Amino acid sequence: MIVGDLSRRELGERLAGEGLALQFGPFNLRIRSNLDSFATHAHQLYEPYPLPDATEIVDFHVQISAPSGLRRWVRRQACFGVDGQFPFAPYTVEHAFPALEWGINWCVGTRAHYLLMLHSAGVERDGRAILFPASPGDGKSTLCTALVHSGWRLLSDEFGLVRPEDGMLLPLPRLIPLKNESIEVIRKFRPQAVIGPSFLKTRKGTVAHVRPPVDSIRRAQEAARPRWFVFPRWVADAPLSFEPMPKSQAFLMVATNAFNYEVLDETAFRLVTEMIRSCDSYSLIYSDLDEAVGALDELSRASDG
Amino acid sequence: MAKRDDPTRRARRLLLEALRAPEQLPALPPADWELLLRVARRARVLGRLESALDRANLLGKLPPRAAAHLRAARNVIEHRKTLISWEVNRLLWALKGIEVPLILLKGTGYLLAMLPPARGRIFADVDLLVPEERIGEIEERLVERGWFKTEIDPYDDRYYRVWMHEIPPLRHRERGTEIDIHHRLLPKTSHLKSDPAPLFAAARPLADPRLRVLAPADMVLHALVHLFLEGDPDEGLRLRDLVDVHDLLCHHGQEPGFWAGLAPRAHELGFQRPLFYGLRHAQRLFGTPIPADVLRGLADAAPAWPIGALMDRLIPLALLPGHPDHPSRLATLARWLIYVRAHWLRMPPGLLAKHLSHKAWLRFRGFRKRVDLAQLDLKQQ
Amino acid sequence: MNHPHPTGSPVAGAERLATTSLGCALEWQAWDDLYIVYQPSSAETHVFNETTALILKSLEQGSRSTAGVKDWTESALGVAPGGLAADDFSFATQRLEELGLVEYLDDASATR
Repeated sequence: MIVGDLSRRELGERLAGEGLALQFGPFNLRIRSNLDSFATHAHQLYEPYPLPDATEIVDFHVQISAPSGLRRWVRRQACFGVDGQFPFAPYTVEHAFPALEWGINWCVGTRAHYLLMLHSAGVERDGRAILFPASPGDGKSTLCTALVHSGWRLLSDEFGLVRPEDGMLLPLPRLIPLKNESIEVIRKFRPQAVIGPSFLKTRKGTVAHVRPPVDSIRRAQEAARPRWFVFPRWVADAPLSFEPMPKSQAFLMVATNAFNYEVLDETAFRLVTEMIRSCDSYSLIYSDLDEAVGALDELSRASDG
Repeated sequence: MAKRDDPTRRARRLLLEALRAPEQLPALPPADWELLLRVARRARVLGRLESALDRANLLGKLPPRAAAHLRAARNVIEHRKTLISWEVNRLLWALKGIEVPLILLKGTGYLLAMLPPARGRIFADVDLLVPEERIGEIEERLVERGWFKTEIDPYDDRYYRVWMHEIPPLRHRERGTEIDIHHRLLPKTSHLKSDPAPLFAAARPLADPRLRVLAPADMVLHALVHLFLEGDPDEGLRLRDLVDVHDLLCHHGQEPGFWAGLAPRAHELGFQRPLFYGLRHAQRLFGTPIPADVLRGLADAAPAWPIGALMDRLIPLALLPGHPDHPSRLATLARWLIYVRAHWLRMPPGLLAKHLSHKAWLRFRGFRKRVDLAQLDLKQQ
Repeated sequence: MNHPHPTGSPVAGAERLATTSLGCALEWQAWDDLYIVYQPSSAETHVFNETTALILKSLEQGSRSTAGVKDWTESALGVAPGGLAADDFSFATQRLEELGLVEYLDDASATR
């Protein structure tokens, strides 16, 4: 069963009642919300996501709700909650949807320490994955969105989830939040991409969510082998540059950009060392998405033989 | 049986049964696991459940999702253990040549002395007890060797130094672990006596003779003083600390003379009331095996009837987390009452009123200034 | 201040350096001209240059005087005797001592 099997009314009732259970890759979530606007966005953007079996354990219980008591009348607000705790300052009610999306990432990043969590986007083709570890603002979301609308499968826009037992990447194909100019860039690049409403003046500027292609969501339980690290940087008007990167530098960039490299001690050192050893690393500077996608397609074709 | 369906009761029953009889957990239905994981996370005992199941070799018999959450808790704990042990190693290096006994308190002591409460326990800071007159020298040497005094607001700094039993924490410039240096177990302002001299005299050396831990009875009493007098208004009494006491009692209780000496030592140190409450509630919640004559010997430490009856209600309410989706107002009130009581015992009334109002002001300010985490990079969390 | 280690003073050199047990329990990964080194005791990952790595290596067979360590390191690096700046050398050894990987044998315990 997927979210799309529920009517808008059924979905709203679940959200306002016992909660809507959803499966995002390795994680089961239960989402509660008493905000009508949230239900509308969720109905549109979560449509292809599966619901877990009723007998499955839910990992994270989150909510985005109007606060109770007096404060709700002062200013319309939305609070992100997890397990009945409200760790953050309230958001304006208009930003409830991006706030919940961000809050879910926060839960994963602070709790899923049974996995090594790299801060990295990832895509896969023919069983081999590219990881894009990068700092925010370097255009990894934009590039990742372009690739998954060009024949690559989305693993994740934010998390490189590495299973310690075998070093495989676990997909977490969640919505991709595009910021500011990137939204128009992607609309032009692939007019058929499903993009949600633009949320103006959030803490990160204007944000709009791209829904990953249905194939990526359907194959969310299919792990992938890491094959390349590509460190992308978008630079206006720059000619395409695609250069091998020294392994020592790649190691440091991956380790220092991870969510929990420090927490996993020796396991993390060994996993990252092994990944850097077995993958080729490149730095990519681009200004044109078609050129960048072309270079990465070429990379995957060149190593076919 | 209507009461069994009450969400708060169900959450508490699951948690207590899991702590008491972890070997039953493989038979738990998924819906109960789901609630147990949430409640145990709140009470910070996920790691404890993991270690109990690991020793019973039962981790492979759990639903994979439950096992994953327990594994995550274990990874964090193992990492913290490494950091705490390492910080103690570096302290010994930095203090080379300074002949001063370092008594390791709480988690640091359990870990370095390899005592049962260290299993599956999360460790925050390094806690040390040192003679008050040597603190200046220790602080100075640590600052020379790369530690710095963490910045706190002037009220807190003065509060620490004038009224408290510890100095503001130190932290190494390259590492995150804080070192709390205490010179007594309770603030100077406390209603309870807290002369540290008998503790130093009874302390036991570890493999490295510069390191000591409190004697078994003192260790139990300190854990109880910490539990009952250092509460948190939101969190209430930390169940985790009572679990430590349970583990210590089961462990040290094997040692000849431990039970006979416990109540007399409590009277000597002035901690008979915390001991009374601690033994009573450890036995009620975890079934801790406590000899009947020890409890009888503490009868004079029990509070008068109305207070005793009230505390019997309040303490479990403040100790046990409720159901995350069904907050209980009564428990919130109990946590706050216990917090005020703890401070009442630690400070004269005038200072207490001043302190509580300052804390309330901080909390108010804190709310408005609450860090806006969305602006930070996620990985910094 | 009574640091046991030389702080850039070329007068020092007689103190004996040794690796600690922790210094022997490292995991090494050499890439390019750098060493990525994991220290299980502290859960830290270090990046060592060749000089620092060689100082540790010089102590594999047992303790040496600091002067002896410096000579050995210079010859392993292929630079002339005295070619390694005293400041760089003492910075590296001080760093290794802070990390708990080397220790001064006589001096540290004798002077206090």
